[in-house]
Amino acid sequence: MVEQPAAAAFQSGAGAADPVSDQALIAQARAGHEGARDTLAIRHRQPAYLLALQLLGNREDALDVAQDAMLRFFMTLDTFDAERRVQPWLFTIVRNQVRDLWRKRQRRPGDWAPEAESLTRQLADPAANPEVDLRRQQLRERVWRALATLPTEKREIIVLRDFHDLAYREIAQVLAIPIGTVMSRLHGARRLLRTRLEEGGRHV
Amino acid sequence: MSEDCGRTFDEELLSGHVDGALTQGDAQRVRLHLEECATCRALVDELAAVRDATMSSTFDLPRDHEWSEAPRTGASRMLRGLGWPIIVAWIVVVVGYGIWEALQEAENLIERLILVGGVSGIGLLFLSALLDRLKAMTTDRYREVHK
Repeated sequence: MVEQPAAAAFQSGAGAADPVSDQALIAQARAGHEGARDTLAIRHRQPAYLLALQLLGNREDALDVAQDAMLRFFMTLDTFDAERRVQPWLFTIVRNQVRDLWRKRQRRPGDWAPEAESLTRQLADPAANPEVDLRRQQLRERVWRALATLPTEKREIIVLRDFHDLAYREIAQVLAIPIGTVMSRLHGARRLLRTRLEEGGRHV
Repeated sequence: MSEDCGRTFDEELLSGHVDGALTQGDAQRVRLHLEECATCRALVDELAAVRDATMSSTFDLPRDHEWSEAPRTGASRMLRGLGWPIIVAWIVVVVGYGIWEALQEAENLIERLILVGGVSGIGLLFLSALLDRLKAMTTDRYREVHK
């Protein structure tokens, strides 16, 4: 398994092929059911990895962070409100892990930018119909290259909304900001992204 | 005030419009504004195109075995980092000591040459095979196919 669709496949947490809900799995995991823990881990570790990758730009660091985040997620499972979606909670952990890593490396979160090339190298190649997909893939690469140049605060809000498809309420939870701030911050980030794309000499 | 069109319009509502996250009243306000403002219509199209590009991106993901191989905590990572050099040092010391003892017990130069030659030959062959195997492990693109 090398490539998978990114956002949509992971959003619901309970796809058609896997009918057991996160809530049911969490209840079983709390009761000590190892299989439920494994299923939860397999279901959610890839989005955690992708968010870490998009914030860090480095595959190995992202894998370490995602692994640690999953561990912390299971450590805090007893305090997790099972009525909520898993992903925002897990993303909050991932974001904290990423910030811890920055601190360990003595970088201020706002200063950190993933290497654009390192991040775009992780983009999957267009699989089918290259004639049609090539232009879109080029646009994707330009967007991710431009995203890598944004300040962390702006990059993470775009990634959470546009890639991971989190609702505004969930973004507010992950970023620990008032829900009323989400739209304005997101729009500011999108405007800057648009400017960066234009600065690259390539209009969308 | 919108930066582009200059009219009295809360431009961040355009992001809410793209995301489908507006209240009914705001959605109506945006719709009316877009009907008469080509600049904001173009901006909405751009925002939507970039959003679509971001959303439809796919990334290479770690293979299943990479998850189980990655150290689970900082402590285990550190211990694993320490463990390998210690094992290598242990092998070097034990093998070196064995060879030294054997050399000491050899009664003449020919026995020593046979011992050194044999050990060196086997060691080099083992090293060569090990290096080839390591290289194959890291570069074989079809490794997963055989499983």
